[in-house]
Amino acid sequence: MFRIEVFMKKCFKNPKGSQVLSDISWLGIKNIAKIEYCPLYLIDGDVKIEDVEKIASELLSDKVTEFCTVSRCSDLNSINVNSSVPSLSSSVSIIEIWYKKGVTDTVAESIVKAVKDLGITKDVKVKAGHKYCLYGTISRAILDTIVTKLLANTLVQEYEIK
Amino acid sequence: MKKVKVLILRAAGTNCDYETQFAFELCGAVVDRVHINSLLAGRKDKIFEYDILALPGGFSYGDDIASGRVLANEIKNKLSDRIRKFVLRGNPVIGICNGFQVLVKMGLLPDPELFEQIATLSYNSSNKFECRWVYLKIEKKIKNESNCIWTKNLPNVINLPVAHGEGKFITKNQKILKSLNRNNQIVFRYSTKDGNKPAYPLCPNGSIQQIAGICNIKGNVFGLMPHPERYIFALQHPARECCADKKYGWGKIIFQNAVDFVE
Repeated sequence: MFRIEVFMKKCFKNPKGSQVLSDISWLGIKNIAKIEYCPLYLIDGDVKIEDVEKIASELLSDKVTEFCTVSRCSDLNSINVNSSVPSLSSSVSIIEIWYKKGVTDTVAESIVKAVKDLGITKDVKVKAGHKYCLYGTISRAILDTIVTKLLANTLVQEYEIK
Repeated sequence: MKKVKVLILRAAGTNCDYETQFAFELCGAVVDRVHINSLLAGRKDKIFEYDILALPGGFSYGDDIASGRVLANEIKNKLSDRIRKFVLRGNPVIGICNGFQVLVKMGLLPDPELFEQIATLSYNSSNKFECRWVYLKIEKKIKNESNCIWTKNLPNVINLPVAHGEGKFITKNQKILKSLNRNNQIVFRYSTKDGNKPAYPLCPNGSIQQIAGICNIKGNVFGLMPHPERYIFALQHPARECCADKKYGWGKIIFQNAVDFVE
């Protein structure tokens, strides 16, 4: 299984991160300095890493404004945060959100179709998720509030805080 | 006289195809709205039965991954030879809003000969979906020198509505931006009513140099974020403004230009 993370290049604003930061301030939570958002994808199937790199660079990331990383992972829980993006420290909290098993993942379905369009004929399974890096010292209780009130619909999505 | 034939290419999530069809038909063209699956399954040269290709607005494939990305990927990988030949032989092509995003992301704009993505339409600076009437400046220099066949006979400033979340035009580097300027490929810029440089919200997305629409050097491929098909009649304008004939809006002129060009 491969994990793909897509990041905005440093010279561009992270629009979704800024929007979430603004929304969080409306919850009365003020001690977060910055939020970076990146979409996540898991790709499983009988595909080579070259195929996954092609999917990542030609389909999942924008050649002008984004870059991506591809890494192997054994399962959904093997979070492999790329060190080039947030420098992990005690003041960075990472939230990942995925659809629960059995919930239709429409973005993933579009990707499966687009992978075939790319000329990769082997069957792949895809999951699409979200990652938020929150910069600031934030308690677990506050993070749970942010996720459940703003970022995730816990009826259909599950989340993990690192 | 032979009727001008227009192919409106649609996919799952396209939602401005009927209005675009209406606009072209009003200008005297015969229009077929064709689903991409049908085009791919049909005769290989079907596209060449048409004179004009239009990619209308909407949310193709739900804007999954990014706006226009999945459709751009599909066209580039399954229709590239045909669509490139269609463009290079000079047939008019227009991409409106989502269609513009598709043209840019597949690399048909700004340079169809290169056919690589060298620009993008990214998230609006406001991080929001922006929906309003805006002013567009067709600079005198551009109006006189651009080869764009779609924007002839327009005044210096026109009004059109925008509705998008990802319309911020960005080039891969400064060199590309300079060449767009040098070759008069920047057809529309967001402006104030007087044609001056606007601030938000008149520039709805933070595009570099207020770019709202571009064409290729030859002038037959045109992409723009505003919706000309939503300003065909004066009655569609909030102030009922019209062009010289008292009935139609500036959007109709854009479609008429392409039909007249083919005729």
